[in-house]
Amino acid sequence: MSQAITAAHTSAIDALHTAYVAALDQGDMAAWAATFAVADETSYFCISAENDRRGLPLALMYDDCRGRIDDRVSFVTKVWVGTYQPYRTRHFIQRLSCESAGNNQYRVTSGFMIMMTPEGGATTILTSGEYRDLIEIQGEGDNARAVFRERRTVYDADVLPRYIVFPF
Amino acid sequence: MNAPMESFEQRWTSSPEGFRVPYEVFTDRAYYDKEQEKIFRGETWSFVGLEAELPNKGDFKATAIGDTPVIVTRDQVGQIRVFKNRCAHRGALLVREPRGNVKSFDCVYHQWSFDLTGALRGVPMRRGVRGQGGMPPEFDMANFGLDALRVESLNGVIFASFSSTVEPLLDYLGEEVVDTIQRIFNRPIRIMGDQRQYVHGNWKLYAENTRDPYHGSLLHLFHNTFGLYRATQAGVSHMDASKRHSILKVVATATPASESENKEVYKDVRSYNTDFHLQDPSILAGRKEFDDGSTLIINAIFPNLLLQQIANTLAVRQSVTYAPDAFEIVWTLFGYADDDEEMQMIRMKQSNLIGPAGLISMEDGEAVEIVQEAVVRDGKKTSLLAMGGGRAENVEHMITEAPIIGFWENYCRYLGITQVRVA
Ligand code: FES
Ligand SMILES: [Fe+2]
Repeated sequence: MSQAITAAHTSAIDALHTAYVAALDQGDMAAWAATFAVADETSYFCISAENDRRGLPLALMYDDCRGRIDDRVSFVTKVWVGTYQPYRTRHFIQRLSCESAGNNQYRVTSGFMIMMTPEGGATTILTSGEYRDLIEIQGEGDNARAVFRERRTVYDADVLPRYIVFPF
Repeated sequence: MNAPMESFEQRWTSSPEGFRVPYEVFTDRAYYDKEQEKIFRGETWSFVGLEAELPNKGDFKATAIGDTPVIVTRDQVGQIRVFKNRCAHRGALLVREPRGNVKSFDCVYHQWSFDLTGALRGVPMRRGVRGQGGMPPEFDMANFGLDALRVESLNGVIFASFSSTVEPLLDYLGEEVVDTIQRIFNRPIRIMGDQRQYVHGNWKLYAENTRDPYHGSLLHLFHNTFGLYRATQAGVSHMDASKRHSILKVVATATPASESENKEVYKDVRSYNTDFHLQDPSILAGRKEFDDGSTLIINAIFPNLLLQQIANTLAVRQSVTYAPDAFEIVWTLFGYADDDEEMQMIRMKQSNLIGPAGLISMEDGEAVEIVQEAVVRDGKKTSLLAMGGGRAENVEHMITEAPIIGFWENYCRYLGITQVRVA
């Protein structure tokens, strides 16, 4: 049986979700990477619901270790600079479930929606989807801080409405 | 009555400076409609899927040739069939799911039922109800099967055609394309998944992009910086005899370019950055899997397919058209059924290279869209295809736009456009 979650852990998880949204909505890739644990076995996967449903591994973004999460920051901030039309996003998150996985870790599922505004353009929905997370609480009491050990983003769009630069 | 005036340019004029393409070809509905008739539904073979996507009897997938919806299925004896996705009764879309497995195709509207060969097998209330209604005695179910397309496969790659007169697939593809397909599809494959991306541009801008070795190392910093593809590498830019298809290939060489040579070629170019390093370079640590040593092959097959090998990333990209300014790219990635675990991992890591957010493909979507945006009101102005000499000729390097000219010469042939070269 999963133990009850403490208020400190709940607020740490909330703060993590907020930090993730704030990072991406400001286009701050370094802050995005900072929401993940520093341990090497830390991952970010962004996969379509279609592939997820079919049990196929292919992902839109497949960052299977901490180094590749850091590399994604460089891709957006260095490799791709000047090649894409800038766009801003607004993420909205609704937590759906949270279960203890032991060792100060939680399996958390949330629904999300991302609005997208290209520079000089109108606001549209980029996609919606589900975050399936393994979140770890580091530190105790007032110092408790949550980080992602794994974030699996399963997006709903069968056809993405455009090319994609930023993680979801 | 006179025949209606064609609204688009019937004569394209090129100059000694190079081949010219009027921008209206990317925006004008008249071209788009003509392409559907003369190219996608004309004397061509279009890619519709991989046999590995339909391993079992009754498996089907819904896709489109140009903008005509079609069903690809494997029937009860294992044969691949392609039909228009349209009920023979009153035209409803027969299959609405992207893929699945069925015993028969049953239309939701009035429940007409078609078997896997496309034959009509059931019509509810055909003999009426309590002596009332029913189909007329002349009604013959044999006349109301699904519209079937011609189908041919090469090493598990399925092509279909609306034409009863198009040449056999192997002749249509030509020797070098057949070799390229047989090289990659040399043994059973395993599907890794699909990616789908909507592009706000004309499908032919992507046909140009995938026949354009010139842009590879200039638009894509990742390519250049990490040496996946540079103009200083040995390569070839070939076409089949008809020049419809193109094969761009980086070939292994005994004398790779030195760093100083690369620096000289790319000295003023944004996309050559030797200061950039990866935290996890394992994405580039692939495995040699072809004896010829080629690490990059981009094979565009007219009209709707791109077959690629980039390092260990194997994929097909299918274009589906929606409108003059909209098409979809469907990427299907695969490995081999006998890949060991490490190889599967290599392919997964490298899958970051391609797709809607791919390290060397995100920019292609943008390149297509910024052309579309800019040409919208200058239909009679032309683009210039001149790099490498401005003629559709095979060359043993990659600093050329020749394969794009091959595409346009065929395009003009299909649409009945006259090309004129002024001295
Ligand atoms: S339209 Fe299909 S059964 Fe009537
Ligand atoms: Fe490209």
